[in-house]
Amino acid sequence: MSNLASRQPWALSSNTFKLQLALVSTIPSIIGVLFVILGNLDFSIGLVGVFLPIQVLTVAAFGWRKARRRGLSDALLIFFTIFFSTLVLVLLLSVLGSVIFEGFKAMSPHFLYENNRYVGTTTSLEYGGVGHAILGTLLIVLLTTVAAVPLGIAMAVYLTQSQSKMRGVVRTVTQSLAGLPSVVAGLFVLAIMQFTHIERSGFTGALALFPLMLPTVARVAEESLRLVPPDLRMAALALGAPNYKAFFQVVLPAAKSGIITALLLGLARVVGETAPLILTINMNNTTNLNPFNGPIASLPTYVYSFLGSNYSSSQQRAWGAALVLLIVVGILFGSARLLSRKKSLKTKPAKKAKK
Amino acid sequence: MANEQKDGSPEVKKRKLSSGPLSKGDKWFFRATAVSANFAFVLVALIVVFLFANAWPTLSSQGFSFFTGSNWNPDAKHPVMQLGPMLWGSLLIGFTGVLLATPMAISAAYLIVYLLPKPAAKVATTVIDLLAALPSVVIGLWGIAVFTPVAVNWARISNQLLGWIPIFHVKDPNAAFTDSPFIAGWIVAVMIVPIITSVTREIFSQMDDGLINGALALGGSRFSVFRRVIMPTSSSGIIGGILLGLGRALGETVAILYVLQLSFKINFFSLLESRGGAVASWILARFGEASNSEFHGLMAAGLVIFLVTLAVNMLASFVVNRAQPWRKN
Repeated sequence: MSNLASRQPWALSSNTFKLQLALVSTIPSIIGVLFVILGNLDFSIGLVGVFLPIQVLTVAAFGWRKARRRGLSDALLIFFTIFFSTLVLVLLLSVLGSVIFEGFKAMSPHFLYENNRYVGTTTSLEYGGVGHAILGTLLIVLLTTVAAVPLGIAMAVYLTQSQSKMRGVVRTVTQSLAGLPSVVAGLFVLAIMQFTHIERSGFTGALALFPLMLPTVARVAEESLRLVPPDLRMAALALGAPNYKAFFQVVLPAAKSGIITALLLGLARVVGETAPLILTINMNNTTNLNPFNGPIASLPTYVYSFLGSNYSSSQQRAWGAALVLLIVVGILFGSARLLSRKKSLKTKPAKKAKK
Repeated sequence: MANEQKDGSPEVKKRKLSSGPLSKGDKWFFRATAVSANFAFVLVALIVVFLFANAWPTLSSQGFSFFTGSNWNPDAKHPVMQLGPMLWGSLLIGFTGVLLATPMAISAAYLIVYLLPKPAAKVATTVIDLLAALPSVVIGLWGIAVFTPVAVNWARISNQLLGWIPIFHVKDPNAAFTDSPFIAGWIVAVMIVPIITSVTREIFSQMDDGLINGALALGGSRFSVFRRVIMPTSSSGIIGGILLGLGRALGETVAILYVLQLSFKINFFSLLESRGGAVASWILARFGEASNSEFHGLMAAGLVIFLVTLAVNMLASFVVNRAQPWRKN
């Protein structure tokens, strides 16, 4: 929101300054790269032993020349901010890049729709795929969604529309449920299964994902409901609408895209959960479309089981399934983003056009 | 029921007078939402009750040494199950992860809020949130195949240069440096950076502009504003974010299982040794072949990690909520 640079109009003025800045930010990295390539130096040593000291020194000297001690500390602050942020970016790109690069080696049309009926750990990649796992994941997550989304929205309504004094406590408990370790969710359902003698199936997997999805949906839905101007609701109430009508006919339509965002982010949260599913479902090599009976496959458990073996074709399968999982998460996350962006652009003109 | 607990604001009182005939539907509406909201408590209670019921045989037979001892032999005649090294390992990895993640997270938040132009800041926010959405099994896969070789290299270098510091000391001169708490700490750091960043970013962006402008007008520099204005006002919120990250780190399961050698020979501070512990990963690792008595032991381990993370997360959300007063409507 507040950009410090815009409040110091004198800071970025002259061309000499820009030239110096460019030199300061490129020379150390060039020296570092030269050392690594010509001196045959290890990259990590080159980064920490050569580049970092030179960069810190040049940045410090640059700042000192400009404004003595104040300039020095400012320059170092900016440098370390950029350095650590770049580290985050490099880690993220490394994860994404390696999954995409390795996953594409396993990718082929039949990998997406075939199941693993006759596939062992050493079967070549020409046979089999993740089709059954995609279907299984969809079924399990769908079951979880049916239960978690209405309940999560109702919690959000309670947190935003009611006047109860318990709201603070409910919010704290919900938020701390969001940090529930996924393996505990699995153990919890396992304990229930011991007690009630339910067999392992897709349903028990969905049950284990439920406590993980609920808090995410509740939190995002709460935020989107809070973004609806209270005047809308107050106007509806003033016209004599009861609270539930004010909610279903005024607040909910206004928060529609936010609610869908809550749904999508909740899905993205649970679709990759591994530990609860390992504990509560039996893995399957073939397609099973009945989530209430028998073993069922899912993408995360597929990755997990094939990563367990050391054969290269199994590893390839794990990477391929991880890429599919990543694409699913990316689609969910991306559409949630698009929705929440559209909302801020669209609301005002749309309302005017209607009335 | 819920709409009768009023705090004497005038408009609300008016509505109460005039909405008599309509209140029946409202009553049910609020009753339904209150029931679903209270389901949060029910869920926590159910988890505690079910885990405790299954954990009791182990807890009662092992006593307090369940938490402190370091021996896991569930199939002996008198089963011994003591979780000490795993508990300590979880804490060690959690703190390592937090130490690594905090500078990155604060830097990223500072960059997004105060340095980048608005469009770039939006992109950066999306990128960080995307990092939060990555499934832990994918990060584990990356950790074992891509990151471990790099981290082994870092570990070897820091062992050669700083081996005299106990943290970087390794007993075996030919150590492989794989599967160490150091690597697990990095993996956990990758997962909690986005959590700490998003809390910190929100607090930074809600900072009172007048405060910063005033500090600049009094002759403050960028660093002094950061050091004397931004950090003191936002520190409690940042600590809340760090606690949230710690809660996530303590409960992390699959990714750590890939990159850590679980061992009951306790590893106190030697981050680079190829052995460590993590309660959640231990549950998953043992679960497949657990006998009946070990099943109860693993349930007890689950109860312990649940209560610990619940306490950490409650403290965290309490701190974060207090640091974000604009969120209370």
